[in-house]
Amino acid sequence: MLLSTLQTPRSLSRLTRLPHPLPSAAPHLPDDDVLLSHARRLDAQIAAGEDPGPFAGVLVGVKDNICTADMPSTAGSRILEGYRAPFDATAVKRVRELGGVVVGKTNMDEFGMGSTTEASAFQVTANPWDESRVPGGSSGGSAAAVSARQFVVSLGSDTGGSVRQPASFCGVVGLKPTYGRVSRFGLMAYASSLDAIGCFGSSVADTGILLHAIAGHDRFDATSSKQDVPDFQSHFHSVSSLESKPLKGLRVGLICETIDDGIDAGVISAIRAAALHFEELGCSVNEVSLPSFSLGLPAYYILAVSESSSNLSRYDGIRYGNQVYADELDSLYGGSRAKGFGSEVKMRILMGTYSLSAGYYDAYYKRAQQVRTIIRNSFKEALNQNDILISPAAPSAAYKIGEKKNSPLAMYAGDIMTVLPCGFVEGGHAGLPVGLQMIGAAFNEGELLRVGHIFEQTLENCRFVPPIVADDIAY
Amino acid sequence: MTSKGLLRGASLTANAVWHRSSFFPKVTVSVHPKLVKFQSFSSTTACSSLPPPDLPRLAKTAQISLTPNEVEEIAPKIQQVIEWFGQLQGIDLESVEPSIRAETENNLRGNAPETFDHRDALIASVPSYEEPYIKVPRVLSMD
Repeated sequence: MLLSTLQTPRSLSRLTRLPHPLPSAAPHLPDDDVLLSHARRLDAQIAAGEDPGPFAGVLVGVKDNICTADMPSTAGSRILEGYRAPFDATAVKRVRELGGVVVGKTNMDEFGMGSTTEASAFQVTANPWDESRVPGGSSGGSAAAVSARQFVVSLGSDTGGSVRQPASFCGVVGLKPTYGRVSRFGLMAYASSLDAIGCFGSSVADTGILLHAIAGHDRFDATSSKQDVPDFQSHFHSVSSLESKPLKGLRVGLICETIDDGIDAGVISAIRAAALHFEELGCSVNEVSLPSFSLGLPAYYILAVSESSSNLSRYDGIRYGNQVYADELDSLYGGSRAKGFGSEVKMRILMGTYSLSAGYYDAYYKRAQQVRTIIRNSFKEALNQNDILISPAAPSAAYKIGEKKNSPLAMYAGDIMTVLPCGFVEGGHAGLPVGLQMIGAAFNEGELLRVGHIFEQTLENCRFVPPIVADDIAY
Repeated sequence: MTSKGLLRGASLTANAVWHRSSFFPKVTVSVHPKLVKFQSFSSTTACSSLPPPDLPRLAKTAQISLTPNEVEEIAPKIQQVIEWFGQLQGIDLESVEPSIRAETENNLRGNAPETFDHRDALIASVPSYEEPYIKVPRVLSMD
């Protein structure tokens, strides 16, 4: 049962499962030889009686704004075309140390700015459930690749919805951990006070195992937490060992502002069905009103564009990245950035430059930070009265490529959010998946994973395998 | 005549709401629905009191050279988003502390030099390099 002779060639064919010209993982696939040498090394370790690690042979995808020393990292941008980081991000390093095979980088909206992955400078990514639709964004490639079973798990990043929304569109599990739970070293900065490295898996168990692998303090990230990382896997009990009301006593709050006007009727229906499912599992479900919820989106955008305009000033064409030759330094900066950045990124940098300008700072940036306090306090109170909060992960299922909606539900650092597939709406060949968002208290990922696992394992008549994979399995 | 009347009406409503908001001196958990509704008036008022973005100046500050076509295309979008940002202007935030980031530890490490093992890889990424210098064009400032 050598990996190098049996499993890997089959796995290689999975990497190209989504057809051209709409690949989600093609930009930076390593040579077959690299994968086979990984497999041979693992075979040698196993033959020598060594422990190859819990991720031995597991195919892992990495979003292209997370640095890998042996593959280019471009953040979906022309300004970093061909750029090769001189180090692995801490999260990547930890996965590799546990035997994971980092197979490739996944497509994304440029620097994480977008919600469809159409803002990538390189290509559009297809949704495995319907290739004429977007996978969501900005981690659309990471979500699509797991949904298409090209990878077992993948890493994404989430600043304002970029793990949760593509998880919903692609019908996979997406987890945004507590800010500080996972090191951000090697994650190209978008908005430093909001960025978090997140996880995708096709099950809660896989997602939790990945989180455990990458979590924990890192001396290279001053905001990473020294809190102990619990053993998330201890929460994953077999469904047969569960009692009839396994979540008895759990208090679930459904955020009512997220199921009102403007939300697709099919999505509301799926979320209400999920709430019923929680009740069947023994939970008490009540509606929670968070009037400050609507303030979250403008506050988020102000914070994100402000911080990104500062963060992206490092891309000046001098030390790395594409350079436009010019006789004067200002022209080199201006030309390199004009040519390297796409339209959405330019727009956000300019808005951020405005909101941080003298005379506007207090009116915009400071006020947004004050609103953040209000919203954080609202969530804290709601999470004192409920064990978890639930909402749709996105207002609709995946829209057509080119339809260009751009308003993910904004969320706030300090809390943890997991998205579970929970139902379908009409569309595509086999329906389109709808994601349920679950919000838990800071650093309580274990509880969220426990609840998510039970929810997932007891959900009947739902199997979230896209047609493109189901057909392949049948053959 | 009509526009003047509208302005007076809006102002009166704004004043009334400001007066009412004095009953909620501290916003500790959530915003009272009245304050949320107040946003639309204040948004209009606040946006008119803050000068709109000067795109060429912003582009200069951000060091991004924009073509005239880009300026023409981007300006209305930015204006629209900035106006939408204005929703936050009408909220009473007098006693609210700004949250600079999530409540998280700031674990500084000691100030000790370390050697980075892949210096060659750093240098390999530099577009214009002549040992031991990174080349840049001459620096001129017209300001």
